[in-house]
Amino acid sequence: MGDVSRRRFLQYSGASALAAMTTNLTMQDVARAASASPLPLGTPILVVVTLYGGNDGLNTVVPYADPIYSSSRPGISLSDAQVIPLARGLALNSSMTGFKSLWDQNRLAIVLGASYPQPNHSHFTSMAIWQTASPNKQISSGWIGRWLDGQPRDPMRAIGMGSVLTPLLAGEHRVASMLPLGGLVVPTGTLATQTQQLAMVSPTDSVLAADASASIGDFYQVAATVQPVLKSQAPNAPNALAQQLDVVANLIAANVPTRVWSVTLGGFDTHADELRAQSQLVGSVSDAVTNFLTKMDATARARDVVVLVYSEFGRRVQANASLGTDHGTSGPVFIAGHRVAGGFYGEQPSLSQLVSGDLAVTSDFRDVYASMLQDVLGTDATQIMPGWTTKLNLITP
Amino acid sequence: MTVASDRLELARLVHRFGFGPKPGQFKHLLDGGIVRARASVLTHGGTDRGLARVVEPQITDLGQAPSDDAASRIYWQNVWDQYMSLAMWWLDRMVLADHPLVERMTWFWHGHWATSIDKVEFALPMKIQNETLRTYALGNFSDLSRAMVLDGALIYWLDGEVNVADAPNENLGREFMELFTLGVGNYSENDVKAAARGLTGYQVDQTSGRVTFDATQHDPAPFSLLGVHDAFSATDISDLVTSREESAAFIARRMWFRFVSTSVPMPRTLVKSFARRNIASLVYAVARDPALRRPGLSQAKSPVEWFVSACRALRVTPSKLDSGSVSWYLGQMGQFPFSPPSVGGWPFDEAWLTASSTQYRFQTAAYLVQHGSVTPLGSSKSTMVQTAADWLGVAKWSPRTEQSLRQAVSDPSALATLALCAPEYVVSV
Repeated sequence: MGDVSRRRFLQYSGASALAAMTTNLTMQDVARAASASPLPLGTPILVVVTLYGGNDGLNTVVPYADPIYSSSRPGISLSDAQVIPLARGLALNSSMTGFKSLWDQNRLAIVLGASYPQPNHSHFTSMAIWQTASPNKQISSGWIGRWLDGQPRDPMRAIGMGSVLTPLLAGEHRVASMLPLGGLVVPTGTLATQTQQLAMVSPTDSVLAADASASIGDFYQVAATVQPVLKSQAPNAPNALAQQLDVVANLIAANVPTRVWSVTLGGFDTHADELRAQSQLVGSVSDAVTNFLTKMDATARARDVVVLVYSEFGRRVQANASLGTDHGTSGPVFIAGHRVAGGFYGEQPSLSQLVSGDLAVTSDFRDVYASMLQDVLGTDATQIMPGWTTKLNLITP
Repeated sequence: MTVASDRLELARLVHRFGFGPKPGQFKHLLDGGIVRARASVLTHGGTDRGLARVVEPQITDLGQAPSDDAASRIYWQNVWDQYMSLAMWWLDRMVLADHPLVERMTWFWHGHWATSIDKVEFALPMKIQNETLRTYALGNFSDLSRAMVLDGALIYWLDGEVNVADAPNENLGREFMELFTLGVGNYSENDVKAAARGLTGYQVDQTSGRVTFDATQHDPAPFSLLGVHDAFSATDISDLVTSREESAAFIARRMWFRFVSTSVPMPRTLVKSFARRNIASLVYAVARDPALRRPGLSQAKSPVEWFVSACRALRVTPSKLDSGSVSWYLGQMGQFPFSPPSVGGWPFDEAWLTASSTQYRFQTAAYLVQHGSVTPLGSSKSTMVQTAADWLGVAKWSPRTEQSLRQAVSDPSALATLALCAPEYVVSV
């Protein structure tokens, strides 16, 4: 729920900040969290940015030098003045000045033409494929969720911003914790003790009742850790993604023992009037990620953090009659951070050799994930994506 | 027939095919026997004294936005106020209905033909769509589909109004087959392109939701759709698609998924009850499936379902609360009527059981208890925990919950708050 909650959130957030932790709320598990077991310096951290709706890759990393680009998209192609040239006849949308600075510092990798074999045009199917990393077989666990399955149970290990769990973060046995922007308000007084009792899983519980019970325990544990950090927050960042990354930056700086963060931004389904809206959206992604990394630079974690940005598909090469584009196939994936070896990876799909009107797939996203799993999270990628043995070398040791 | 399986079945019926019991209702149904209880839960049509108390909202066509600043502020305030009245009106219907099956099915269809006011902007088209969903909630699915393919809010939501013969916009045609009528894998990419052509030319007036047909923007050429070659109108497309065998199986699966289990597959025989696309027959078959008496088919309540069932138990009328507070609480839990996150509808099960939703559930429960009545709990400390199970329509408390509630018997409001947040109430076990 976009506007209702956001407006109301701002109105009410003053009131919700008053809840404080009392000593009788301390659970035995809380001892493990940030102050007692901070994430050791030098531990790599992955921040996954999901763009919902299908970002138009051709107006993000723009093949401006190819005349087919502008002739295919009357009214919605970017002019030479609206792009920032990089190399190989490709340019960034001019709203992405932050990414240009990362590029110049050799800290931005762009994987071209990323998707999977026989791309699906459905938002849901395609996003499920990206999040489960399973194009051939429909499964319910996400790739970060399966990574969590192999980790010790700890609600702080992976955290998604927001209230509702995404498939990305659901494993077969474990799920990530979700954290709303406004922080957490914990019951106090006698109610607190009785509430915590509800967190003990009962042998008679169904699977979901046990989940409901465990979520109460997770809530107390996460609250104990992040509450002190979030209390100092003022939600004044310019957009939803920036706000989420702002909180993530503060929590990383506070040494919470979290290895994976998930943040999201919606609105990329630009079937109509796309030019300005899409430029603004990719501009806000570029700004938010760049500001986040700048913030990290001021901490001892600057070299630990890697940011991955993806969307479920790119869009059709040809514009439709509503000054927009319909669902397409491949698109660019961005990886940013100090340890990232900047530059292009893979080939830009040709505009003259389309597959049923769509861009060809020139990179498989699983090569990117394998690199994140292997070189950031230190996990054998074939455990998470059985049978997948190749990877890109975009992280320097 | 053990009493335990009767309690389990009845608890599932009242929470999944309704929005939980009103005070006294669960015990009353149980005492009357499970056969009569089933019939009562599936009752619809006829006068409903609870619904008669719902006040109609004032939802009007606000017309184009004025250009000057002062008038514009008032205009957008009106847009917002109408949205809130519409949402409170529907929540009232869910809470006050004595026989909530129709509202429950309207809620199901809202998640199925998921359309969001975040893009549509105006309450009137959303109200018209909501009435359509209610009219056909237990009617014929082909009729529902015909009405929806010409629904102004849905067309606008999926860019149908900019889908023209010269350059078709595939959004509506694709989602119509993928999410509303057939399901992935039962059509080809060429069928999507064909459906988009057939759906060209329908224009929507955004503020009123009125749909008109502009023949000059329609593609009249014949084409092949699902193996049939013809010149198709929107209605023809809907009829062809809903007549397919795959459509019956798809809708039956969706209903099983949302009402019974997201993990156990539906019995293959279920689809037979939907042969004539009669939704009521399908609902009866799902509700009477023997699976409802077996343990192990739990489902998490969505935030609106949980909120409405709490209001019913506490005798709280949503429109009498501050609508800003209601929208804030529901918004924080991640669900507000008329605002699904995407055309795919609402999440389910584990997605609602996060640490974050837990905290807002506690806050919301405390707020509702403060504004409602816990008198059905009585004052007898020795029976209060069991009374709470009957009051809320819970089959059985776990030892864990029972222990927690026992400690609160001297404070019925605290006990009510805990019971509403107990796993056995948050989940339909």
